[in-house]
Amino acid sequence: MNVTQREATTSREREVQLIGRARGGDRIALRELVDLHKDRLFAFIWRMVRDHHEAEDICQDAFLKAFASLDTFSTEYRFSTWLFTIGYRVCLNRLRRKRPFSGDLDFSAMAAEGGASPSATLESEEAGRVRASIWSAVDRLSPPQRATILLFYRNDFGCQEIARVLQLPLATVKSHLHRARARLRELLEALPDQDWSNFRNLSERAG
Amino acid sequence: MRCEEARQLFDAYLDGELSPSLATELGVHRVRCAECRRSLALLEVSGHIISSDRDPVAVPDDFSERLLACVDVREHGWVAKVRRTLYFVGPLAAAAVIAMAFLGFFDRGRDSRVAGVKVEPTHVEAGAPRPNASAPYDREAADRAIDQWIGQMQANRADKAQTGESTPKPPDLTILQILEMLKDANEGGPELHHFPGADLNELFGPPDEHPVDDEDVEDL
Repeated sequence: MNVTQREATTSREREVQLIGRARGGDRIALRELVDLHKDRLFAFIWRMVRDHHEAEDICQDAFLKAFASLDTFSTEYRFSTWLFTIGYRVCLNRLRRKRPFSGDLDFSAMAAEGGASPSATLESEEAGRVRASIWSAVDRLSPPQRATILLFYRNDFGCQEIARVLQLPLATVKSHLHRARARLRELLEALPDQDWSNFRNLSERAG
Repeated sequence: MRCEEARQLFDAYLDGELSPSLATELGVHRVRCAECRRSLALLEVSGHIISSDRDPVAVPDDFSERLLACVDVREHGWVAKVRRTLYFVGPLAAAAVIAMAFLGFFDRGRDSRVAGVKVEPTHVEAGAPRPNASAPYDREAADRAIDQWIGQMQANRADKAQTGESTPKPPDLTILQILEMLKDANEGGPELHHFPGADLNELFGPPDEHPVDDEDVEDL
């Protein structure tokens, strides 16, 4: 067993302990579970709904639902998988109720808010446009495709785990991933040549 | 490798699932084909940015506190309601059980004294309807009957004293027998409804042969 595997095992044991304590009403354990997962869950939900207050609301709702049915949770699975499953379900319900997302957002402002990031090595206006275009393309994906892309790239979930979160067959998840990439490619290929050169620079840095 | 075939392999390539031989073939095609090179670069960079770009928003600092406050509210919503109910109802139920046990203990005694008279238990059929149970108690009729009975006793004693006969000991009467006498004395007048003694049947069970002292009868 290597160091990474050992750390993962310890982390799992710790999570199971926390869940056991949380089931008994231990507030400290509940707090720890919230602190462990809130950032990633909130980011995922925000990327899905693109509204800060709504994301916060959904995030809170997901945690409350998870805690309310903590007794039914099987510790065979990761708590994050279960939490994201609930979060995604709540997201879908909200998205169904509201009008489809237009995708017209000021991504340059968001990029400025984000501060330094791995891709912020490109400080140019064109780079900002590239990033904005990518996120805009992500926002134009269907909710299951968007969720698949976000969970795959941002949360490092494997296809099997994504299938659990989305409650879909593995083959469907792979299909979503494939179609999402094809759609991204289609949307991004419409970028002007100038921006394409930035893409090439980014690609070299990413590689 | 044609472009169509190359594009079919993009996903496997990006996920690192491509065999080394196919990866080499795709690499060669990539060098030769500008279109596929561009497409693959788009996907690689997109993946890189999606996975590493920092989120422009963050969860509020007080999120955890507010969430746990909601957990408390929910708990107070139903769990605490149950707890509160048990908190108040529990002692009341315990008190009720103790009271019932206490009454049961005295019920088994069957030899209690009421108003200085030994009350003898009387058997009553369980569940038997009590006649005129809802009728009001006629206090005046009862008083008249008692006065009449005491007057008769005194007159009998006076007659016996005049004739020189020794006064016989009054009969041993149970309160129920007295009640029967009162009822007979009340014939023609208003009925004795729901006289308190009637309930004693249920409380103390059937009568036995225990005698009643004279003093006790006098007290009555």
